[in-house]
Amino acid sequence: MKTFRFIALRLAQAIPVLLGVSLITFVLMAATPGDPIRLLVGDRASPETIAMIRDRYGLDDPILFQYFTYLKNLMVGDIGVSLRYRVPVSQLIAQHYPVTLFLVLYTIVLTLPPVIVLAVWSAKRQNGMADQIIRMMGVLGLAVPVFWLALILTRLFGVKLGWFPVSGFGDTMPGHLLHLFLPALSTMIWVVPILVRTLRSALLIEMNRDYALTGMSKGLGARQVFRTHVFPNSILPTLNLFAVIVAYLLGGSVIVETVYAVPGMGKLMIDSILARDYFVVQGATLVFALTTLLVMLAVDLLSALIDPRVTL
Amino acid sequence: MYNRRIITAAAVLALSGTILMAQETIRIASPYKVTVLDPIVSAGGGNIEAYGLLYSRLMRTDKNGNLVPGLAERYEISEDGLTYTFHLRDAKFSDGTPITADDAAFSLNRAAKDENSAYPAGFAPIAEIAVLDERTLQWTLKHPSAPILANLDIFNAGIVSKDDVEERGEDAFVTNPVSSGPYMVKEWKPNDRLSLTANPNFWREGLPRVENAELIEVSDANARATMLMAGEIEVDRTVPWPQIEEINNTDGVSVKLEPSTVLYLVLPNHTRPPFDNLTVRQAATMALDRAAITKAVTLGHAEVANSTFSNALKFYDPSISMPAYDPAAARKLLEDDDLVGTEITMMITPATEQIATLLKAQWDAVGFKTTVERVDAGLWWSKMANADYDVTSSWYFNETDDPDLAIRWALCGTCGSHSYYTRYNNEEVNELTEEALREGDEEKRAGLYRRIQEITVSEIAQIPLYYTPYANGYSDRVKGLSLTPALQWTLEEAELTDG
Repeated sequence: MKTFRFIALRLAQAIPVLLGVSLITFVLMAATPGDPIRLLVGDRASPETIAMIRDRYGLDDPILFQYFTYLKNLMVGDIGVSLRYRVPVSQLIAQHYPVTLFLVLYTIVLTLPPVIVLAVWSAKRQNGMADQIIRMMGVLGLAVPVFWLALILTRLFGVKLGWFPVSGFGDTMPGHLLHLFLPALSTMIWVVPILVRTLRSALLIEMNRDYALTGMSKGLGARQVFRTHVFPNSILPTLNLFAVIVAYLLGGSVIVETVYAVPGMGKLMIDSILARDYFVVQGATLVFALTTLLVMLAVDLLSALIDPRVTL
Repeated sequence: MYNRRIITAAAVLALSGTILMAQETIRIASPYKVTVLDPIVSAGGGNIEAYGLLYSRLMRTDKNGNLVPGLAERYEISEDGLTYTFHLRDAKFSDGTPITADDAAFSLNRAAKDENSAYPAGFAPIAEIAVLDERTLQWTLKHPSAPILANLDIFNAGIVSKDDVEERGEDAFVTNPVSSGPYMVKEWKPNDRLSLTANPNFWREGLPRVENAELIEVSDANARATMLMAGEIEVDRTVPWPQIEEINNTDGVSVKLEPSTVLYLVLPNHTRPPFDNLTVRQAATMALDRAAITKAVTLGHAEVANSTFSNALKFYDPSISMPAYDPAAARKLLEDDDLVGTEITMMITPATEQIATLLKAQWDAVGFKTTVERVDAGLWWSKMANADYDVTSSWYFNETDDPDLAIRWALCGTCGSHSYYTRYNNEEVNELTEEALREGDEEKRAGLYRRIQEITVSEIAQIPLYYTPYANGYSDRVKGLSLTPALQWTLEEAELTDG
């Protein structure tokens, strides 16, 4: 019951946050110079045509008036129509969001096993050969720019070897897995080292705590102490960092999506900003914000599940 | 290598099944977006390229560049050049309904007079369009127009279904537009791809040869090149000059340089200092080693421009020339008028970064002080429209090889776009533009256009830099496909081979 109240409360708190996000986005977009209609009708349109269409789309109304109109529509679940495509924003989001979500989840699934294996391995043999190598590889992974790495991966695995597609999303489940493998891999290469570092140092701290020593002296085996006490206690900081990274992956998807021509939210967002497609930017920002809130909520719930000391 | 590819292809095939479809699909990846399917509402590059696949026009340009009858089987022009009668052929829309004179009149009226029409200039002389019977259409013009027949093959003159558009309004172009061209929409995913499939009712028998086509939006040039080399697309629209060699060195793909009417140029703002001063424009021109700029930017793939006209336009004058590169003389011009140290703010978009670097270096070398202001395309257009800039660099193309529309866009001060928003406004040029439009005699027209070039070059209305071809990458499997100077794909006649 307590958990439900917590969830309800957090969701209620999300409303002012989303309102704030929408207001900031709206003001920023309105303050950005550049005319969406010019970009819509192309080079050769006359100023008269442009003025006429601006007026029809209500872009000449005062900003606050526009914002309240937007809010009013939002209340009834209408997030507007794309200025560029004349299709509902919800349709565009429904088309692009699953792609990015799939990519992020795929990245997470690929990331977690190596993170745990490498961090445990590294911590258990602190300063040993394996630890040194793992740490060095980690620095390398962090240092390599994603777009450059992506370029190399596509040329090697896509063009030279022909193992993986270099673009797109695919049409079927296996197709998605295949098409998004390289994008997920390029993201994973910098995410894994970050998480390994945090988890490794948390493990090292917990391993040297008194309770670990107590467990050993009670005659518990080293394995059991590690599995039931040290590991769960170490995982929390990494989990919280992980939540931040997931939020970042959503927003930062634009780089991999550009290099691998993946039609996801990052691409939609950038294209819409460049085209001053106000309502799409607005809608996409809200979806990003909402997803981030949900990820944070999920991580808090998960933390409470793992560590009873964490109260909701 | 080859074997391994087959094995992988088989594996991919087993997994996804997407490759099977690709056998009969030409996939074109382009940085230019398809944003609307209504032929009259946008003159944006990506849209123009799609319109030609969806909508047939009364006239068409064949593969040798000749204007031939399209949906109009034949036509008559009255002696005074004011009345045009078109006889439509027996043709159907993709939904099976006949294409009638009513549809043609409706479509042309929209392009010419609808308030949403993005580019009515080519049809401005039309006074009235009358439907004589089911298959006969008659125009009357306010005054003669030499290029108006050719203008019927401009992107926005595509024939749409009157019944459908009247019934569904804007939505008629969002979901399942009724098509009169070689292809119709299978699925449109805005901001991603437009999937097309052959229109079974297309009037040209036996065409298109390739069942499906996809226009995929890929903004990153490296991604497009990789996709082409990996066989994931058949066409890469726009290969950056430095990438041409890599693609040509890859098996199975190559870059074709295709003729265009594209002109890269420097646009000075004539309404405010410093470029309202002819001496400044002269010095700025003489400061530029345009041959070196052309070579550096396009790696020798373009021709240095000598005129304010593209070299692919009719009546282009090869004998005309801009002030030659002479930094010392440019410096002297500035010194004589006490203009050394004149500050210039050059507005650029990311696309012109390289040109801007070269311009700045050469201008500063003769005594200008150039500051670079970076803006994105959206802001660029706003500033252009408000004349809120000193100087910038851009390019434009013309829909036909007739110079009329190009001049109306770029050199005529009273034709709507204020000489490509430079506000260059020479009354003689404006009058010559109208006179040349009405002139039926080719030789006399040539004289008028030569005069326009002379005036605009001597006054340095703009500084033309170079004439570029289109550089598109093609898989060797694609035969007979090219991009015409009018930005239209010859997709209906293209074939896909196994080789």
